[in-house]
Order: sequence, then structure tokens, then C-alpha cells
Amino acid sequence: MEKKIFSKRNITLFFLILAIILILPLFVHGYLLRMLALIFMWIGLTACWNIIAGYTGYIDFGSVGYFGIGSYVTAILMTKAKMAFLPSLVFSGIISASFAIPIGIPTLRLRGAYFGIATLAFAEAMKQVVLELDRVAHINFFGGSHGITLPIGPGNEFFYYVMFTLMFMVMAVTLWIERSRFGYSLKAIHEAENTAELVGVNTLFAKTTAYTISAFFLGMFGATEAYWVTYITPNDVFNIHVTIQMVIMTLLGGMGTVMGPIVGGSFLTIISEILWARFIYTYMILLGIIILIVIIFMPKGIVGTIRGLVIKKKVT
Amino acid sequence: MLLLLQTVVNGVLLGGIYAAYSAGFSLIFGVMGIINIAHGELVMLGAFSTYWMFTLFKIDPFISLPISLVLLFGIGYLLQKFIFNRVVEAPSIMSYIATFGVHLIIANLALLLWTADFRSITTSYSGIHLNLGGVIIPYARLVTFFLAFVVIIGLYIFLYKTDTGRAIQATAQDKEVARLMGVNVYRIYAITFAIGAAITGIAGSLISTYFIIYPQMGLPYTIIAFCVVVLGGMGYIPGALWGGLILGVVESLTATYLSAGLSVAITFILLFFMLIFRPAGIVGKGIIE
Repeated sequence: MEKKIFSKRNITLFFLILAIILILPLFVHGYLLRMLALIFMWIGLTACWNIIAGYTGYIDFGSVGYFGIGSYVTAILMTKAKMAFLPSLVFSGIISASFAIPIGIPTLRLRGAYFGIATLAFAEAMKQVVLELDRVAHINFFGGSHGITLPIGPGNEFFYYVMFTLMFMVMAVTLWIERSRFGYSLKAIHEAENTAELVGVNTLFAKTTAYTISAFFLGMFGATEAYWVTYITPNDVFNIHVTIQMVIMTLLGGMGTVMGPIVGGSFLTIISEILWARFIYTYMILLGIIILIVIIFMPKGIVGTIRGLVIKKKVT
Repeated sequence: MLLLLQTVVNGVLLGGIYAAYSAGFSLIFGVMGIINIAHGELVMLGAFSTYWMFTLFKIDPFISLPISLVLLFGIGYLLQKFIFNRVVEAPSIMSYIATFGVHLIIANLALLLWTADFRSITTSYSGIHLNLGGVIIPYARLVTFFLAFVVIIGLYIFLYKTDTGRAIQATAQDKEVARLMGVNVYRIYAITFAIGAAITGIAGSLISTYFIIYPQMGLPYTIIAFCVVVLGGMGYIPGALWGGLILGVVESLTATYLSAGLSVAITFILLFFMLIFRPAGIVGKGIIE
């Protein structure tokens, strides 16, 4: 049933949605467009987290590290080297990914909670280094806690398309992973890593590849966000809440599924946009309650639960 | 020389504080495999219970210690019984996220109730200290330092000498066999979390006598507890002392000789390399998955 992703109906539906998204900026402006771009960003970020955590089961608590690296690479290239945005964007992805290889190889040997804590330590260490290096080394490079102000970017339409393109790429990669041999090896790692190793999966290589792919896109999202908000500080772009948001969105949608990030990302972004500005504390309490309800009553997330209901209906 | 000595003493005292509030984290992880992201909130609740008893009823922080102990024991028991027991058998990500949910709820309820103001307790003995040939030792911190030892030794005796303690150990080692031997595993989980919360709460109470407290203080404490417990060995309770002392001294030295801001970076770099090269902790007795 699920093998028929590329059925005629799905392909038509896909191009229809794609066309609507592409021409939407002709009709929609301002706040709503910004909101849509934000949803694309969160879906993309969540999908990045899902690639490593959802498929391999390695819970990454340091994803924001790559987001932050990407932000700073673009900010520095654009202000210090006067580079244009698009090449900076690509550099952000490449540099994030090249951090991910030496960080991933040692940390991905750790299991369970240890991997989570090590990655958290990496992200927090990056934040502190960016925050303090200027003061300690008496240089003016990262701008310390004052951050960096980027050149003013084009309007929301531009970011709408960039965020959409990035999200589209991540989703395409996820879809490829879902159906490829590489994806099966990731799922095998999730199910039983030692057995996967025994049957000939190069587990460390597979994990590191997934981790690097994830970092590559996270870096590009960070870069785009930096140019979009035009002002970045270490506390914003290395904020642990960004990682946590990705975790919750993935969990809400459903871990290790293609649709999960789309559902979880858009659902939570919309809720937070409605509630955040008006009742911040209440929103956070509500978020906590939602998390507990999802964890306790629908541990497979929205997508997993619906799929479970559909299968049950077919059986009876 | 005096500066170095004072720095090391400060570090050791700070380490005692770290150890006092990290032992509970280690206990909870060791028995249930739960990484309690709401751990810092337990510190915060302990600190605020002392604060309110001091400001509202003029109860001395040291006299209110048993009250916050009982209060946090109750909160811990209920949290485990009604929330974490439902996810403890699920994949570990579920329990991490559940504790994060609890962290959000407690921290933001506290913000709503008590506002984001910074608060502190000033007692008659707040400023007094011991002067050992130029090295200054504040009494309040010294007491916390000894308390860390008392808590860890007490926990050790409890775990080895009482029936409940042995049931906790049995559950930690093999919960299926413990269940077959007639141990009510879920009740043991609730008691374990309650004990962890209680010792964390009294650490929080003591902290309130010399550190500034505010509803959002939790997360940094949780992160430090991570570091302490990893350095000492996850789930190995005396390891909290080792971890606390190392971290305290390293932070204190960096703050004096390099930069206060960098001490946090050094902490995390230390943590990162520790996990890679010695995941079982400095004395090698932690649990490795």
C-alpha cells in the first residue's frame, strides 16, 4: 500500500500543491507570507532532525549547533568578505557538514543518552566559544554577545522561496532515504545496531552520513534565517530551544516518517504563532501539557496514530 | 599563591554544591534510565520553598530544610507515579521528552505565579566566613559542602542497608527478576524519584542562602548536573562527588586565570571529551549502555 508513493493520483496531487505554493506569493503578502516561510523553515529543520534521530534512533540534542554555525558562516562571509547571499548559503552548508564529520565520528560511537549529552555539550561549547572568543583573544571576529548585523535582505517573497526550496530538498532527501538501501541500513541501526553490524552494514559510516546530511541542511537553514532576521547573537542562533522545538515537532508528527515533520512542524508553528505573542507563559505551560498528552496517549505521533487507526479499520 | 589557594578552595566548595544537587540526577538515571531535564526545576522548587518560608514566616533556611525535603519528596513521588511511570518502559526518548514537558510546565507556572524577578535571602549569618590565613571560606557554602557528603553517604547506607534500598538496587540491576522476586517495580520507581527529588530539593534550599534565585534558573542547573554526573560516572552515586569537585575546581581556575565566560565553554569541552574517551566516568564505575 505504501509502496505506491508515485501513483498517478499522488503525482498529480504533488504538482498541484507545488503549483499553488509557487504562485501563492502573487496573491498573499506580508504577515501571512512570512508565516508560511516560517512554517517551511520549521518543517525543514524538523525533517533534518528526523533524518538522524527518527531513522537511526540517535537522539541529537545539539542540532542547533549546526544551525548556529551556518548562521555565523553566512553572517561573517556577507559582512567581512562582502560575499553575496547565495554563495554564502552554500558555504554555510559545506562548513556545517565539515564540522559534522569530525564531531559525528566520535560521538556516534556513543549509545543512547550519552550521544544526546555529547551533542548537547558540542552545541553549548560552540555557543560559549562564539560568545567569548573575541573578548579572550582580543579580536573582533564573532562580535561576542553583541552579535553581527547583516545587510538588509530582500522582501519576504525571497525568503519564502528560499525556505521552500530548502525544505523541498530536505523532504526529497528524506523520501530518498525512506526508500533506499541506505535508509534500510539506518532503520536496521534503529532496530538492532549490533545485528545490523553483523549482517554487513557499515553502521558508523551510515550514521555519520545521515548526521552529515542533516548538518548540511541545518547549516543552510541557519544561514537563511540569519539573513532573514538580519541580526544574530550567539544566544539566539545557538539557543537550545531550537533543538527542543525540532524534537517536539518530530515527536508530535511521528518519528521516522516522511509526513511526520510536515504535520508536526506546521501544527506547532501555527499554535505558537497564535499563542506565543499574547500569552507566553501560558503557551509554554500548554506546550508542556501537549507534550505529556502526546507522549502518554499517542506515542507514535499524529501521523503514526492516524496510520494505526486506518490499518485497524482495514483489518476489521 | 594565596590567589591560587583561594581559587582552589572556591572550586572545591562550588564542587560540593554541584555534587549536592547532582546526586539525585545520578540516582534517577541509574535506576530508571531517565535523563531528568526537569532536574533544575527541583532545585528551583527547593530554593523557592525556603525563600517563601523565610520571607513569609521568618523561618530560618536551615530550620526549613526538613520542610522542603518532605515537600519535594511528595512532588517527586507524584510526578513519577502519574507521569514518568507511564513512559519509563517506552523508548528512552519518550522519557526525555516527558521530563522536558514537566520542565516547561513547572518553570512557566513558577514564572506566572512568582514573576521573573531575581530574589535572594539575606540571613543574619549570610556574610560571615571563616578566615584561614587569608583564605576565605563562607560558612553557608561550607555547610553545603558537608551536606553533599552527608547526602551521598546517607544515600549509600540507605541503598545498601535497608530493604527498600536493596529493592531499588535490584530494580536497577534487573527489573524483570526484581519483579519476579515480588518487588513492586513501579512503586520502587516512585520512591526512587521521590528520594532523588528530596535530596535535590534540600540542595536547592541551601543554594537559596547564597545564590540568586528566579523561576527560570532550572535549565542551567540541569546542564551542570549532566556534566557532573558524566564526569563522575552516570548512575554511580559517589561519582557525583568526583564530578562535582573536578568541575568546580576547573571552573574556578578558568574563571580566575582566563575568563569567567570561558569557564562554561571549558566545561562543555571537558564533558565532550570525557564522553568520548571515558564514558564510564573518571573512576570508571558509571553505567555504559
